[in-house]
Amino acid sequence: MKLNWFKRKGVFFLPSSIIGWIIFLIGFAYSIYSFIEIDSRSHSVSDTLINFVFKFIIIIAVYSLIAYLTSRNTKD
Amino acid sequence: MENEEFEEKLIQMTKPEVNQLKHQDMLAKAIANAKDKTVLSLWWLIIPLYIISMLLMKSIYMPNTTLSSGIHDFAFKQRFIAFFFFIILPIIFIIINTISIRKVYILSGSPKSISYLKTVWLNVLIIFFLILILIVYTL
Repeated sequence: MKLNWFKRKGVFFLPSSIIGWIIFLIGFAYSIYSFIEIDSRSHSVSDTLINFVFKFIIIIAVYSLIAYLTSRNTKD
Repeated sequence: MENEEFEEKLIQMTKPEVNQLKHQDMLAKAIANAKDKTVLSLWWLIIPLYIISMLLMKSIYMPNTTLSSGIHDFAFKQRFIAFFFFIILPIIFIIINTISIRKVYILSGSPKSISYLKTVWLNVLIIFFLILILIVYTL
């Protein structure tokens, strides 16, 4: 099955179709929601950043896994 | 008649014949796939490295704590997460990267020069870091 939802540019997978953009925007929106949620219960800036960065990396890792499985080159 | 000609062709054939253009295309695809896998490994590699760097900072700034004790403490509290990020994930990505390096190596005609390493240096670096994660966790 050939899916062209994403294409790789350097170390990033960029969306190349509407479904790709939807997945990207869901990830982006969830990142913002996570930041606001973590910020609301943290006690300092470093507390927010340490917890947010970890969650943000996981979001990017999951996004890159989806993008890898649905990108142009891998399924040729 | 046709069968005889085909049989003769089969007898004359010594190895699978792949024309030059097809071979270059296969090599280009293998390199592109290896780069895709590198990028995927890179993002997943950052997670255990982030945890290790946090535990390293903890061991530096908190008295009577070491990196090893921090990792053991983390592994005790988050058993499944620690096992996934420090054992399963590195092993999976070591296998994936090794296979892609091997594929590029075979398709390049098994070169002996260092120039081949320029193509797969990031895969090699990632494998090195993944082994490092395994070592740090198991120590």
